[in-house]
Amino acid sequence: MSRMGALWPRAVERRAGDEVPPRAWRVAPTPASAPTRRRWPFGVAVTCVAIGSFLAFTALGVGGHTRTAQRAAAPAPLASGPAPLAIYSVGAPHVLSSLTVYPVGKSFQKPGAQDSLPVSASSFNRPIVSYRAYAVAQLGLMERQIARLEGALAANDRGASQAAWRATYARYLRLGAVYLVGEVAGLNQEIDGNAGGLAGGAASPRFTGLHRIEYGLWTGAPPRSLLRWAYRLDVAVRKLRSVLPEVAITPPEYATRAHEILEDAQRDLLSGADVPWSGEGMLATKAGLAATEEVISTLAPVFRADARVVLLPDLATEFAALRSAMTSIAAAHGGRLPSDGQLTQRQSELLDGTLGGVLETLSLVPDELETEELQQVPQIPQRDVRMDP
Amino acid sequence: VSPLDRRTFLTRSGALLGAGAVGGLGALARESAEAQGAVDTTAPSATPEWSVSQTQLAQGEPFEGPHQAGILTPAPAQATFAALDSIAPDRQTLQDALMALSHRARELTLGGPIPLLAVDDPPADSGILGPVNDPDALTVTVTLGASLFDGRYGLGAQRPRELVKMPTFAIDDLDPAQSHGDLLLQICAHQRDTVTHTLRELLRTVRGSLQLRWSIDGFSSAARGPSPRNNPRNLFAFRDGTANPPTDDSALMSQLVWTGGGEPAWAAGGTYQVVRIIRMHVEFWDRVGLKEQQTMIGRERDSGAPLGGTDEFEDPRYDLDPDGKRIPLTAHIRTANPRTSKTADQRILRRGFNYARGFDAAGALDQGLIFVAFNQSPTRQFAAIQNRLLTEPMIDYITPVGGGYFFVPPGAKGQYDWVGSGLFAAV
Repeated sequence: MSRMGALWPRAVERRAGDEVPPRAWRVAPTPASAPTRRRWPFGVAVTCVAIGSFLAFTALGVGGHTRTAQRAAAPAPLASGPAPLAIYSVGAPHVLSSLTVYPVGKSFQKPGAQDSLPVSASSFNRPIVSYRAYAVAQLGLMERQIARLEGALAANDRGASQAAWRATYARYLRLGAVYLVGEVAGLNQEIDGNAGGLAGGAASPRFTGLHRIEYGLWTGAPPRSLLRWAYRLDVAVRKLRSVLPEVAITPPEYATRAHEILEDAQRDLLSGADVPWSGEGMLATKAGLAATEEVISTLAPVFRADARVVLLPDLATEFAALRSAMTSIAAAHGGRLPSDGQLTQRQSELLDGTLGGVLETLSLVPDELETEELQQVPQIPQRDVRMDP
Repeated sequence: VSPLDRRTFLTRSGALLGAGAVGGLGALARESAEAQGAVDTTAPSATPEWSVSQTQLAQGEPFEGPHQAGILTPAPAQATFAALDSIAPDRQTLQDALMALSHRARELTLGGPIPLLAVDDPPADSGILGPVNDPDALTVTVTLGASLFDGRYGLGAQRPRELVKMPTFAIDDLDPAQSHGDLLLQICAHQRDTVTHTLRELLRTVRGSLQLRWSIDGFSSAARGPSPRNNPRNLFAFRDGTANPPTDDSALMSQLVWTGGGEPAWAAGGTYQVVRIIRMHVEFWDRVGLKEQQTMIGRERDSGAPLGGTDEFEDPRYDLDPDGKRIPLTAHIRTANPRTSKTADQRILRRGFNYARGFDAAGALDQGLIFVAFNQSPTRQFAAIQNRLLTEPMIDYITPVGGGYFFVPPGAKGQYDWVGSGLFAAV
């Protein structure tokens, strides 16, 4: 699980057809001579010698999905030209492979060219349609859970209300992907908004929805007094279910959600920031994992062949690792997902670290789902250059 | 002038140590600063090298002046921000505490040998910097929060016109335990131990009157060039402070930084300080493509040049890019400072520091920016900018978690004056 630092992610050599090894990373760096559609990024030429297991220098954007690697005895210096910027030698701490970095170009490095060819925007149509159907179905289930929540609140039963709240909240997070778009953003604020950005915080009259109910249930408010918030929640969720089929979702928005659902989970849920009273970050993260798997599975046909061979199996491995971490943690808590405060240090490390592994792999997804050629930024013409004082 | 060795200086001043009661330290300390200013750093290389620049240690920033130090002063590498709440029972006790703060801050910024008291007394100085306190470019900036002007001390009528409790902006998740406060101390120096020592010594002088509310340590990235003028990087790796108004333009500073008309008379020549502890979700940021990072900011990460340019200090020429084809209209630099005649008087003077304070309970790094801005009117300047930034794409990667609005009174006017004297004379 340990990570060697951004420049030195864990890695194993892998070829198409190989069995997927446990916790696999990406493939080895490409020698300059091998056929590749990737170019050296940032104007930096990199010579690497893989020793023992091969490393992917993902921080430099080198590697990709090519599956050949060449062994060499020593870093091959550029035939002539500048001195290396840096030499990393085997033997130093954390350096598992030699790497020599040469400066190329005039002054500052320019961002490299796009390394993946765009996929067609129309290939997103079917995934988005199928995702919408999934989301509408989730909202239908959520309405039933809200009804149960209302029943428990009306009965003034705190334990049952908290259980019903957990189910309702986890269901909403299973949507994962669309609720930040257009009109839906306002509804999302009403359903899942936080107290943090409101003047007066939790006391603000604009604080509504799931977290308003959470606040009451975990800070001693009489459950029955929270019924009005549950009714309002019900109305907002029904409204969302009615508008969702019409909400336009663009390919970039959909592709972005593929990795941002779990980024949000790590930032807002596991941290406890969004669930300050119940501490149900792990429950929420599990829902986010389910939503992410749904999005990725709808997108599977959109990925190009090489990503399907390497990236998707990697993701599947990462998802499985996270799921199994959650299962083992739940087992230690009598089968129930513990709240933030109940996690032991080891469990907390396992959870956040495994999620981090998923996210590092997911961060490769947006690049694979670009629908447009990246345009070079136009330069300011020399005659128009003006300097600040 | 022959170079004066610090050790020689110590021997000379050693003779005076016996007489060094705290009250008599001023003149001695002044001598120390002057003497140390004469250290010749071009000494032959045969002498063993110090691991710390003696020039920097000897650098003194005057405590007194029309404006407090630590505003226009170039930011050194280290800082601590410490918010204090007053527990003083009455105005006189509060006034005594402020006088003591200024007095001790002046001594520490001058530097000098620490006085020896009787050996059976606690030492007059903790001594963690050794027997001599070097000036080390130390500045101590004493500022006042809105809550100090509540009913407790009868200061309400003299409250600076725009001094209010910092509002909660929509992107904020303010933690009360690291927000606001009756006073704020901004302590800056080249070396970490100088800053640590200063806070510790200052707190000794106000024990029983002023109590810590929150504090945070900051640092600047090392000046890695390529030129000495390039601004340091924040923890998103982008240069920060590039578009600051030039601090040597005193007319401009009068328009943008120093308070004047409309304020209570004592407050003229002060400024408003906005401090925002902005957590940066650095793990998330590191998983974003470089192109997208640069598009969000509007600059090239490595050079700091505006997109389409080659030099950090190049004008981004929004006039030639009205549709945002080169620098998106939502890019941070363009939203923050659109460089129009309408927004010219909104410009602020930033003097931020990075922070890194371990990690949170969930295992995520707790790193970010201690955003610091000095401005003449937070309503006209900082808040106008902040409100524009509420919808920039970068907000996904940051969470403001603390800070506050503070008023920086004008500087102490002479050796016996103290920061805040005008306010107390007016009530």
